[in-house]
Amino acid sequence: MGEVILTMKGIDKSFPGVHALDHVDLEVKKGEVHALMGENGAGKSTLMKVLTGIYSKDEGTIIYEGREVEFSNPREAQAQGIIIVHQELNMMNDLTVAQNIFIGREPMKGHLIDDAKMNEEAKKLFERLNIEIDPTESMGNLTVGKQQMCEIAKAISHEAKVIVFDEPSAALTESEIEELFKIIRDLREKEMGIVYISHRMDEIKVITDRVTVMRDGGYVGTLITKDCTKDDIINMMVGRVIYEDPKTESAVPKDAPVVLKVENLNAGKLVRDISFELHKGEILGFSGLMGAGRTETARALFGADAKESGDIYINGKKVEINNPEDAVANGIGYLSEDRKRYGIVVDKTVAENSTMATLKDFMKGPFINKKKEREVAQKYVDSLKTKTPSVDQLVVNLSGGNQQKVVIAKWLVKNCDILIFDEPTRGIDVGAKSEIYHLMNQLVAEGKSIIMISSEMTEILRMSDRIIVMCEGKQTGEIRIEEATQEIVMQAATLRN
Amino acid sequence: MEKLKNNPIVKKIGFNKIVLCCVLLIMYAFFSIVSPTFLSYSRILSALNYAYFLGFLALGVTFVIATGGIDFSIGPVMFCAALIAGQLLTKNELPLALCLLSSVIVGMVFGIINGYLVAYCGLPSFITSMAIMMMAKGIGSVFTKTQSVSWPQGVETGGWYRNLIKIKLGTVQLPMGLVILLVAAVICAIILNKTNAGRYILSLGSNKEAVRLSGVNVKKWEMIAYIICGTMAGIAAIFYVGAYTTVQPGLGDTFNNEAIAGCVMGGTSMAGGLASISGTFIGVMIISILQEGILAMGFQKDYQYVLTGIIVLAAVYADIRSRKRKN
Amino acid sequence: MSNNKSKESAFTNNPIVRAIGTQKIVVIIVLLVLFGFFCIMSPAFRNYSTILSIFDYSYYITFMAIGVTFALITGGVDLSIGTGMICYGLIGGYLITQKGMPVVVGIIVTILVAMLIGTLNGVLVAILNLPPFIATLGTMMLVRGLGSIITGGISITWPPAGSEQGWFRSIFKISIGEGKFPIGFIWVILIVVIMSLILNKSKIGRYIIAIGSNKEATRLSGVNVIKYHMIAYIISGFFTGLAAVAYAATFQAVAPGTGAGLELDAIGGAIIGGTSMTGGSGSIVGTLLGVFIMSMLKTGLPFIGLQANWQQIITGLILIGAVFMDVMKKKKKA
Repeated sequence: MGEVILTMKGIDKSFPGVHALDHVDLEVKKGEVHALMGENGAGKSTLMKVLTGIYSKDEGTIIYEGREVEFSNPREAQAQGIIIVHQELNMMNDLTVAQNIFIGREPMKGHLIDDAKMNEEAKKLFERLNIEIDPTESMGNLTVGKQQMCEIAKAISHEAKVIVFDEPSAALTESEIEELFKIIRDLREKEMGIVYISHRMDEIKVITDRVTVMRDGGYVGTLITKDCTKDDIINMMVGRVIYEDPKTESAVPKDAPVVLKVENLNAGKLVRDISFELHKGEILGFSGLMGAGRTETARALFGADAKESGDIYINGKKVEINNPEDAVANGIGYLSEDRKRYGIVVDKTVAENSTMATLKDFMKGPFINKKKEREVAQKYVDSLKTKTPSVDQLVVNLSGGNQQKVVIAKWLVKNCDILIFDEPTRGIDVGAKSEIYHLMNQLVAEGKSIIMISSEMTEILRMSDRIIVMCEGKQTGEIRIEEATQEIVMQAATLRN
Repeated sequence: MEKLKNNPIVKKIGFNKIVLCCVLLIMYAFFSIVSPTFLSYSRILSALNYAYFLGFLALGVTFVIATGGIDFSIGPVMFCAALIAGQLLTKNELPLALCLLSSVIVGMVFGIINGYLVAYCGLPSFITSMAIMMMAKGIGSVFTKTQSVSWPQGVETGGWYRNLIKIKLGTVQLPMGLVILLVAAVICAIILNKTNAGRYILSLGSNKEAVRLSGVNVKKWEMIAYIICGTMAGIAAIFYVGAYTTVQPGLGDTFNNEAIAGCVMGGTSMAGGLASISGTFIGVMIISILQEGILAMGFQKDYQYVLTGIIVLAAVYADIRSRKRKN
Repeated sequence: MSNNKSKESAFTNNPIVRAIGTQKIVVIIVLLVLFGFFCIMSPAFRNYSTILSIFDYSYYITFMAIGVTFALITGGVDLSIGTGMICYGLIGGYLITQKGMPVVVGIIVTILVAMLIGTLNGVLVAILNLPPFIATLGTMMLVRGLGSIITGGISITWPPAGSEQGWFRSIFKISIGEGKFPIGFIWVILIVVIMSLILNKSKIGRYIIAIGSNKEATRLSGVNVIKYHMIAYIISGFFTGLAAVAYAATFQAVAPGTGAGLELDAIGGAIIGGTSMTGGSGSIVGTLLGVFIMSMLKTGLPFIGLQANWQQIITGLILIGAVFMDVMKKKKKA
């Protein structure tokens, strides 16, 4: 490890209603791989966005190569040698590898692009990195892993001095990760500063020199990787004080009937052999880190995405669910993590959204019985305490929490027995949050059953009767609430293979 | 201005519709002043003749635009239906009622094909409907061996369908077509706003995935919008021949643009999800008065094309701006 | 089944096949089959003048198609080219025949007006962010009226061959002794080569492909996307101008009110040639081949007793088929 190349000190950033970064420090040295760790929402990405100028900071200083800097956009940062390799790749799939790497700064020969020279340079670059990729291959034909290598190569060709890897291994296979590590070690040799964001404990141990842990937007501490254990890091990640009491005991009787049984569900890379049971009156928590495959499991179960195989039983009877229609007909309701895209119809009113799944029941001959529709919608506005001037209000004008209540109302009107809540409180303020919790408890008390996907550990521990943990498309744990602790859940969530 | 916008009556009707009505009146006044002959009753009837078939086309395409799609085939489909039905009437001597029905069915069939390709095969609607447009032009012309078809002229000589346009009471000609178009507009408004079909069509235009995840068969309802549109084009054919009696093969595509212009002017959003039947109705009236006025002033029809083009661009730009402001 | 598959991949993996592109080879085969079919079905088709006629029909469609290929590659479309071509031909011809201007000036004005409308399309799409199909629909109506307003609604016949001003007609067809030679095809080949270079070897082409592939990523790479997005539409306009000249040179008269639907011949040709409706990929050579299928049909169908109306039906079917294949191709990739 050499001298310090980048210091971020006391970085503070607030968004309306959220204190996203609370005086965070980060120091990166030349020739160092520095892990940045934390749960989902701990503030890692926000910190990196502040670094590269996507967000402006409220407080704090960034010192880069000995002088204070403030970038106003990623291109400025890039010009100075700070580059992020994003998790979601920004590639032009129709162009070749070399064309992607040199986009915007093509070598020219007269008025024409010198593709031969470009391919040559790209080849040299790959040789330097010991990567085997054909520069003339079109980007869309490469695996995600190879595409990532290209993005790294692009970063290096920009004369990068600091490279930030944002969860680079999430989409890679075992051998691709090996290759990635080889490159990273190589970059370390070349005295670059590397920030490595990852959830994978074993990788952190293998590849990084130091690790900085963040939690809830705050700075927890920095350790030297070889001097600490996996448990040390986990404890730093989860060691928050839990203000809300976690559930200590499940109220679901042991002999409660199984309302939903899923056997060997498979759908793509992120849903592999998922099997579980859901009991009447139970909240079954699905925990895991980003990209664990929880939402994908829910969508496959709901028929929103095609599944490869798997049997679904409702109340002991096998059912075919091939599309959302089938799922709804079988009494399953799904509240998506992305309300705006998958939950609400913004141009429609509260009443109209409430009856979206049940319009058939509101028909009087060929016409919609709007009076009945409004009455029922009003009933749920009252019982869910949705804050809206009237049921004729367009949902686009409601706050996030109240929009969520409208989506809940949609499934309550349908009288679904099985509800899938995917990140039910994402983007919802604290007050509305506890209302939603209260509501969920009320629903299970009435005999409904809930699958709750959540990335918030406190939410999982507070609400669930039982927890299923997923990691990279596989089930890595099933924990009864009586035994669950943050550490046990996090252990399972980082358990690869 | 703000005060006017917030007036409860204005709010109820919709500010932009009031603006449209004003535009209509000002245009009417303008043409009356610059062209004295414009004020005559026969001019009004002539403008209405244009409004009838265009109205049916525009009412139909409003449903498709509400889904976020577009249908460029309606004009040629209307001509195709009129040609086929006219051929059946004049050459095959089928009863008139049956021919009118067959016109509607031809329109519907085109709507079904179009809807299937867009909703079930996932093809982009604008290019699909343009291909259908070509086919409608060709089929109509193949059916009549590229001859134009003249429907019976006089009411007495077997042309009772012309009573659907104008009915003679003594010496006065009453615009029967206006009554029918109004009734059709009311029915369309009811379908769009009071039935599940309308609800789903508008909702899927706004957010198809959310509607699908509510357990709704979105493909079916999207297709229904195209079927409604095609059927209306078939009905429009009846009103076209009712007004002009003669149809030529290979034409009709300018009417697509005018019908679409009527829709977007009336406040139907090209992005889908928002549609107004009354707006479409007023929009069609504006286009009809415009075309009659341009004729009355002794200009060629070409000026109308230019104006329609500008209207479409302006209306779509205004829609994009207002959506941006909302978000 | 597996045997079949390996055969298929053996074919598609053949280096020569790969270099040319599977789709283009298929298009060439279809072209030859079509030609053979017409030759067998109609003795009159087997005639030099028929071939000349295929070329005559190909020029203006080819130019429009090359232009619209650029618009398609950005993920957009240009619907104004069909009526636009007629409009520009009318304006240029009007200046020559009614205002007594030299043919050169007429041709230059034709192309300039076309580029102006192309620029307008570019502004509407790239700067004002209107959906391309509706923006160019608006300009389509605009130019439809514009041409005949300027000429006063009359048909324009550019100077005939043999007349003092008729030299421009021999750009496309020259008489050699008794026979005629479709020299225009040589220019077409030349232009195809130049435009292929621009598409594949210049910054303009590179960035247009990049925009169609992923506009946001291109912007973040520091490319002025608005500029290059606009250039695509200006190219489309420029080639529509060329098409207008070709049209005026090969046909008797330019008639106002015509031209609608011709854009579909061009777009259809481009899509058959492998240019994707969703943007990001396209080939000028493919477009040329696709256009030849269109003009072969236009010329050949009457020989087997199918007149213009059948062509329209078949154009429609081909268009749907081509778009369908394009959609399936994308689906398979995803």
